[in-house]
Amino acid sequence: MSAAPNLESARNRPRSVAFGLLAVGLALTGSACGVSSSSTSSDFGDTVRIVLPEEPPSLEPCDSSNTGDGVVERSNITEPLTELDLATGELHPLLATEWKKTTPTTYTYTLRSGVKFSDGSAFDAEDAAFSIDRTVNNTELGCFVAGYVFGDEKVQVKAVDATTLTVSTAEPDPILPLRLSFVEMVPSEMSTTEKVREPIGTGPYEIKKWDAGQKLTLAANPKYWGDQPAYKTATYVWRSEGSVRAAMVKEGEADLATQIGPDDGAGDLEVQFPDDQTAALRIQGYIPPLNDMRVRQAINYAIDREGLVKSLFNSDTTIAEQLIPEGITGFNDSLKPWPTDVAKAKQLIAEAKADGVPTSTPIRLVGRSAQFPKIEEIIQVIQKELTEIGLNVKIEMVDTKGSTELQQRPFPKNPGPYLLMIQHGNQAGDAAFSVDQYMLSNGFQSAFGTPELDAMIKSAEKQEGDARQAAFEKVFAYEPTHVGQFAYIAHMTGMMAIASGVDYKPNVNTENEMHLAEMTPKK
Amino acid sequence: MLYFLRRRSLTSLLPLLFVLVGVFVLARLTGDPTSLYLPESATAEQRRAFAASHGFDDPVWKQLLHYLQGIPHLDFGTSLRTGQTAASMALRAFPNTLQLAFATMLISVVVAVVLGSWAAYRPNSLADRISSLLSMTAGSVPDFWFAIMGVWIFAVILGVLPTSGTDNGLLSWVLPVVTLCVRPIGVLTQVVRGAMVSALSAPYVRLARSKGATDVRLVTHHALRNAAAPALTVAGDLAVGLINGAVVVETIFGWPGIGKLMIDSILQRDFAVLQACVLLTALSIFVLNILIDLGYALLDARVRETVKA
Repeated sequence: MSAAPNLESARNRPRSVAFGLLAVGLALTGSACGVSSSSTSSDFGDTVRIVLPEEPPSLEPCDSSNTGDGVVERSNITEPLTELDLATGELHPLLATEWKKTTPTTYTYTLRSGVKFSDGSAFDAEDAAFSIDRTVNNTELGCFVAGYVFGDEKVQVKAVDATTLTVSTAEPDPILPLRLSFVEMVPSEMSTTEKVREPIGTGPYEIKKWDAGQKLTLAANPKYWGDQPAYKTATYVWRSEGSVRAAMVKEGEADLATQIGPDDGAGDLEVQFPDDQTAALRIQGYIPPLNDMRVRQAINYAIDREGLVKSLFNSDTTIAEQLIPEGITGFNDSLKPWPTDVAKAKQLIAEAKADGVPTSTPIRLVGRSAQFPKIEEIIQVIQKELTEIGLNVKIEMVDTKGSTELQQRPFPKNPGPYLLMIQHGNQAGDAAFSVDQYMLSNGFQSAFGTPELDAMIKSAEKQEGDARQAAFEKVFAYEPTHVGQFAYIAHMTGMMAIASGVDYKPNVNTENEMHLAEMTPKK
Repeated sequence: MLYFLRRRSLTSLLPLLFVLVGVFVLARLTGDPTSLYLPESATAEQRRAFAASHGFDDPVWKQLLHYLQGIPHLDFGTSLRTGQTAASMALRAFPNTLQLAFATMLISVVVAVVLGSWAAYRPNSLADRISSLLSMTAGSVPDFWFAIMGVWIFAVILGVLPTSGTDNGLLSWVLPVVTLCVRPIGVLTQVVRGAMVSALSAPYVRLARSKGATDVRLVTHHALRNAAAPALTVAGDLAVGLINGAVVVETIFGWPGIGKLMIDSILQRDFAVLQACVLLTALSIFVLNILIDLGYALLDARVRETVKA
């Protein structure tokens, strides 16, 4: 008799376990639901909701030239002394009301008075001097703004009084104010040894809460020196899939979605806008067979840019004939796109082959996955076109790190000949920022160059005004015919989805810095 | 039981160590992260200082030793990307994946048992064929397709579910869980069906039928219990896959889980976070495997005796 209850107990055990598991499952599910905060539509009146492709890695002000940081931070949380209007190339006053060259190597800034940081402390010339020194001269932090904007240049900064600041360079720098427009102002108490993830600034918004991995919330800064923004709160979430971002705006879960493609389905809510990005193939022209000018020209003749731009890029995209788009100082409007001529391309390859150039050597055609919409299709079309003219081209899609290794110096040892799809954005508004990197013989992202082109670039960088414009125009006219490092493809346009209830006009700088204060509810 | 657990722990230690060392070495083969985290103007001295401050200048064996020494203290280092501790990032993401995996497996097992038993009870009937077709389709269509279609149909066209995120309470769970359920249901239904077909034709079931047991009792009390062991094995494998990170679903639906964190860490060469994630998931899989073994013991008296022994 005593065995019966035990047997019954054993029989019931699986059921008990199942109920136990169910209970734990519901508890887990319930706890998860409890953590989530349910939103109602009434919350959104004062809030603008933005969905980005990825979470900002940090909001360190001295790294704000990185698009992922800058799009959230610049002129929202922190502000520079002056602000560049990329459409006109002009600087506008922000935390500085005026600035002028007082000696050949010194600029003097007059700062806006009455400005406070979001923690209530006053902004003055000491803070400005600290911010510039921390960003440009600090060797411990390794700031991206220093690398992208200043290169090896160091500056001397001095707070003359509370609202006067001088900035000097060892050599005359005609575009120093432009470079300084990339330096975000921070309190002088900020760390000089460690990067800061959640900074304090003078901008119209301050960081309210950052749920890492989930959501970033900004709140209007009540101590802001200018007009209060229309939206009291801004939230950022991130979804890597463009179609999901577009769907979120269509569905009313977000008000703005950035970096969407034409096939993501935003429909009427799609907005195209001019961008500063140019897509091009960089030719690793020091490795055979790419070290032969005829092979490089053949690559240019083989690509049907018109077909690519019409079928695979956003509708307002234009064919590229140089590395920078219109609006950037130095843009040469007399240049024409390289013509498509397959017969000529085949003839050049045949000539090179006859002269002993190893044209059958496998060439890597490298693209970065998700670099921009339809990159895979674009790469496939180019591979087919280059194969047709007699080159042996293999497609290779890599991640960001793999692409970076092939794009930046020092290049890998014995990588074999390769063509790399690059997407260059000049957010600084001056050709110097492009050619220094991409065309100098030893440029950080330049495969090769010539002493003649180097001399032209160095000379152009010393010019000012119309002379500077003319000198860079010559650089862009010279490079394709005498060096041939690039096959330019397209001057790209940006595309975002904007909900019908939000009034916002994206511009050429939107993907680098998206100003929340320019957004208003549509009436 | 304790002996069983001790033996299982010891036999799992070697594969665990193998995985940790393998991931550690393979991660370093993907290249030095310095170029991703320092600007182009960084001097050789700055690059050396960066490498030194994160221990990348040490030989790999020394870095490995340092990593292994940190494990008992949950010290995996600091994320290069966010500056936060790797352990805190992994521990924050992991419960989100665990909850998703648990809900998915709970629903999948229940649905698969019902569907599989039904199909096995009426083999070759129309119901069986429909069930087979549905489960094979579900088992062969990729997650991302279901996910994107789910978003378009239920969020954009019908407007009944949120597209993504975790802000809408239970509704936020529907699309990710349903997407994740599709494959396990497809696979498990077939396994349950196959095992039930065998069980229902076994002598003890025929005997029970001859003694007047009802159809429901035949299935639930006799056949299903004996058919559960193979289903448990497959369910365990599927659960391991989910705990390892439902990468596609987490990425598409913006679910802040361990799979998405691991992918981001790999792309950003954030070795410390990657290693913390790998250790956490490896330990969880180890625990899950023990639970599966104990599940066998509950289901099968022969296994129970082995465990007791």
